[in-house]
Amino acid sequence: MLGFLGPNGAGKTTAMRSIFRLLKPDSGSLTWDGEPIEPDDLLRFGYMPEQRGLYPKMRAADQLTYFGRLHGMSRQDADSSARRWLERFGLGERMDDPVESLSHGNQQRVQLVAALVHGPELLVLDEPFSGLDPIAVETMSDVLREEAARGRAVVFSSHQLDLVEDLCEDVAIINEGVVVVRGQVSRLKDAAPIRHLELDVDGDPTELLAELGGVQTTRSDGSRLTAIISAETDIRGFIGRAQQAGKLRHFAYTTPSLSDLFREAVR
Amino acid sequence: MTGFGTLAQVALREIRERGRSKAYLFTTLLTLVIVAGLIVVPPIFQPDTEEAMIGSIGGGNDVIIETAIRLANANDQPGEPPSLDIETISFTDREEAALAIEEGEVDAVLIDGREILVETGGASFGGSSIVSTLQRAASTVEIDEVIVEEGETATDIIELLTTDRLAVSTVSGDDPRDESQWIIAYAGLMLLYLAILLYGTWILTGVTEEKTNRVVEVLLSSVRPWQILGGKILGIGLLALSQLMGTLIVAFFALRMVETVDLPPIQISTVLNLLLWFVLGFLIFAVLFGASGALVSRSEDAQTIALPMSLAAVIGFFVSISALNSPESPLAVVSSLIPLTAPFVVPVRTALDAIPLWQHGLAVVICIASIVGLTYVGGRIYAGGLLRFGSRVGYREAWRSAGE
Repeated sequence: MLGFLGPNGAGKTTAMRSIFRLLKPDSGSLTWDGEPIEPDDLLRFGYMPEQRGLYPKMRAADQLTYFGRLHGMSRQDADSSARRWLERFGLGERMDDPVESLSHGNQQRVQLVAALVHGPELLVLDEPFSGLDPIAVETMSDVLREEAARGRAVVFSSHQLDLVEDLCEDVAIINEGVVVVRGQVSRLKDAAPIRHLELDVDGDPTELLAELGGVQTTRSDGSRLTAIISAETDIRGFIGRAQQAGKLRHFAYTTPSLSDLFREAVR
Repeated sequence: MTGFGTLAQVALREIRERGRSKAYLFTTLLTLVIVAGLIVVPPIFQPDTEEAMIGSIGGGNDVIIETAIRLANANDQPGEPPSLDIETISFTDREEAALAIEEGEVDAVLIDGREILVETGGASFGGSSIVSTLQRAASTVEIDEVIVEEGETATDIIELLTTDRLAVSTVSGDDPRDESQWIIAYAGLMLLYLAILLYGTWILTGVTEEKTNRVVEVLLSSVRPWQILGGKILGIGLLALSQLMGTLIVAFFALRMVETVDLPPIQISTVLNLLLWFVLGFLIFAVLFGASGALVSRSEDAQTIALPMSLAAVIGFFVSISALNSPESPLAVVSSLIPLTAPFVVPVRTALDAIPLWQHGLAVVICIASIVGLTYVGGRIYAGGLLRFGSRVGYREAWRSAGE
């Protein structure tokens, strides 16, 4: 599963549309499994555009069956797949209702099923989580995890970096049309030149930090102190020293978050 | 699935979704009811026998009234009620008669077989003028009196007046054009004009709707533009054809039922010709409407963008009206060979038997060639316009953005 990140206007949607030949790239090439993407390959891909698009008056199940058939499925297969997916998203009762009568969140679920219904090898989802409530986010995340576990490639764009961090093994960050960071999330974090240090201790933590060296920024919130320190800084023995200074309530030493990497990458 | 399999899927969706929409079922039903009603209802309110009350002062009136009745009923079928029945009331003087007219007791008063007294002098309420009927009867009586010495009788005069005395022949030696051909040509033209505009608009709004609700982006991720446009035209075309045929069949049976209109002998070839030109005309306009629909994102803009096509159809309609009267004029010939007007003009000329075979054949070839050409041009404009949302896209801009 690949998280596709970038600030607004960086070219995420443009890149996704290019895959589906909705736009002609000015330069570059599009390949899948090392081969250039042919129009027929698109039948094995699934796409969820950022601007949702469904027939408002068409029944949910009929509509999804239709999309399945357009991808080359037989009537029976398309119909049973559409119904199975709607059940999975808890829309079993509403599957014969017109899409316009469904809530925003439910329409979004139907839109995701439209990308999934034909069992694509590659799922390309443009902002699939925007506007969803936490429960809907969870269902959608679960489905994406399952699809990835089944060996399907999932690419999605999102601005909810916590979610991306939670879901994705890999990320690609683009800025002004160019990929600036790409790789496994854990490796990228390890390779980052900074670490986060959080400390909540009686007494004066600034003195402790001063001893540590390599501190780049600090921020204090009551007795809790957050610092960004160099990854080179040796923190062995630091907990012991902190405990000597006073009662230690909280201590955390972590690699930077995805948000930090993102900010760093697009600066 | 082959490219045409996908096209068929698109067509099938149009048929299924549109076919079961309330709007479609309602308009179909409404059309059928209106058509049947227009044919069946008027004869019900039209009395079989027109009745008139005529006042009479003095002598010489009875023979006129009697002749009027015989003239009006000369063409009645035996066993049917008479077309005209006149009752007479005698008055002694003019004042009494005038009062009766004002009271509405009588429609008119004949005086001494020389004068007719009416309220305003216009046609009587109810359409046909009793005054003109009586005028004609009076002339007949007078002719009868003049020539009675020659051995003719009034009955013969009536026969002479109510049958065609001159055989009609044409310069070309063909059978003279009869009125029923004209009626078929006119009805066929109306039908084609309304159907092409109505169903063309369905294509237009259908295309714009897909753009408005953005479903087109999902579609285009797996389906190519020509498959969507082609499927849409095929699906809506079949629905249109079935609605048209349904209307024709209902109209046919309604006409049979009431028997008020002598149904012109409609030949299968006439119907087939009409259907051929409906299909050709529909395809030409559908491609144009479809391509234009892709240029706008909002249904409000759709009407504006349809203007050139609507205008072309209106021009075709008026040229055809002129062709009804002079089907072999240079205008009619030229417009038969222009693809946008041919679907209206050619069927009219065909129904009137006023088009040489080579012109008809050439018109069909020109139309088919235009459909192929327009499908290429229109398809590319359609493809280029589809994904440009927001304001209206220019034809040239759409053409360029779809360039390979």
